[in-house]
Amino acid sequence: MTLPLIPVARPRAYPPRVSAFTQPFWEGLAQGTWQTTCCDACGKFTFPPKPVCPHCWSDSMSWKALGPSGTLYTWTRIHSAPKVFVDEAPYAVCVVDLDAGPHRLRIATRLVEREGKPFECGMPVELVVLQYEDGPMLASRPL
Amino acid sequence: MTRRVAIVGTSAIPVGRHQTRADEPLQVLEQEIMTRLVIEAVKDAGVEKKDIGSLVLTLPRPYTLQKYFSTFLVSHLRLNCTGSVLEVMGNGMTAAVAFDRACDEILLGRTEVALACGINMEAATPASEHAMSSMRTTGDVDFHAASGFIPISWYAMDAMRYMHEYGATRDQFGAVAVKNRHHASLNPLAQYRKPITLDEVLAQRPIVEPLGLYDVPGRSDGAACLVLASEDVAKSLGRPYALVRGRGFCHDGSHQINEQPNDMTELIAAKQASATAYAQAGIGAGQIDVAEFYAPCTVVEVLVSEAVGFFGRGEGAPAAAEGQTALGGRIPISTSGGLTSRGHPAYVTSLYNYCEMADQLRGRAGDRQVKDARMGMTTGELGNYNAALVHVMEAQR
Repeated sequence: MTLPLIPVARPRAYPPRVSAFTQPFWEGLAQGTWQTTCCDACGKFTFPPKPVCPHCWSDSMSWKALGPSGTLYTWTRIHSAPKVFVDEAPYAVCVVDLDAGPHRLRIATRLVEREGKPFECGMPVELVVLQYEDGPMLASRPL
Repeated sequence: MTRRVAIVGTSAIPVGRHQTRADEPLQVLEQEIMTRLVIEAVKDAGVEKKDIGSLVLTLPRPYTLQKYFSTFLVSHLRLNCTGSVLEVMGNGMTAAVAFDRACDEILLGRTEVALACGINMEAATPASEHAMSSMRTTGDVDFHAASGFIPISWYAMDAMRYMHEYGATRDQFGAVAVKNRHHASLNPLAQYRKPITLDEVLAQRPIVEPLGLYDVPGRSDGAACLVLASEDVAKSLGRPYALVRGRGFCHDGSHQINEQPNDMTELIAAKQASATAYAQAGIGAGQIDVAEFYAPCTVVEVLVSEAVGFFGRGEGAPAAAEGQTALGGRIPISTSGGLTSRGHPAYVTSLYNYCEMADQLRGRAGDRQVKDARMGMTTGELGNYNAALVHVMEAQR
């Protein structure tokens, strides 16, 4: 299942660095694939993706796909932005609890508007990909 | 008997805008401020230059041109240190760590007298430019900063969640800003001293929703110096002092966000660190007379007041609105004016908190004096209170 891709007509303001390890994440995300690392030993997901499990310290990690839906735990709209983000401000960011089976996962992303769905803690959200000219950014959007 | 440590002297410049822009013909130099402050604090303590065996400095901001400022300062004062000379960095916790490390120097027996001091210069650097650096201090640079998160956005998200769960209101957070401004109006070291009303707080432009301009800290420069001494030395000086009775630290193992869903506004690190500090001091939260929190936003003061056990969950905001945390209230918090009004020169902010606590416990806080203040508590933190460093202090007069 791929995430909805939303084109954005500009490059990312602060492009992330890509490592040999995180490259599959970014390349997958550009195609709408939402995956992160899951520990083979203890079964916990971790995000951002990591080569070593923070919980049990195993280095046996696999890329696993996750569902696109979650719950908006909390959010804010930033009006006072760092220099490179000033022309995007105000913009919203959020914390989302994902439905990741027995091992739940909490992530923080950009939050994009959906007409008629004002942001509210506890509301269902889906993950989307903001397709900037130079690469992708993971974001959430009210369902 | 176990060694104990006390604050015996303090000095600070008023929090405000001191940094000069690079193009100004006359520059403010950090060492000129710091040498005067050290001499002032040492005089306040009544110790002598030769007694000082350790100096712990807070890491200066990158805008401070002079590098390795700690040994530079030692040379300006010709201190002969046989304990340690170092500068420490713990992000928001920097000044709290400096104090804690200086305490250690004495507790370890490396010296009888230690200095914890520092200077934070940043206010002449535009906010949007400074934010380019501060956004890299919270969360993951490649995954969070790249999405536009900034340090106070995390506190704003705490506020949003807390309002959702407990029905707290912006008015209640605003009451914290009004109360702290009133406290600051009584503090000569405070940056913002003109009293404000709740209507004015609510009318400010949004910064990170639901927080407006007066709910968040402004831009501040500051510098301060604390003189710490062993209990024996403190007693011998014949002046009031603040004795450290308990110390607790906790890092909850997460960096900004707990990837395993938890109760984000519970501030578990503050809860645990304060429990440790109370246990060491042999007291409970109810015995604290005055508290100085590291609380960058109004909501944070509310959350910490619950985490350290002054109020139950969800009761901190209404209690603040009722005046329970104001001077004259049940448990006065941020009598200095707090980070929103006293000011927030980030890397030295906690030094100002210890100055205020020492003033309260030494009975010289003037119009801000909490009557008969005997037990005080301070908190330092980093991230979204992912780590907390708590001290309990007792007045010795």
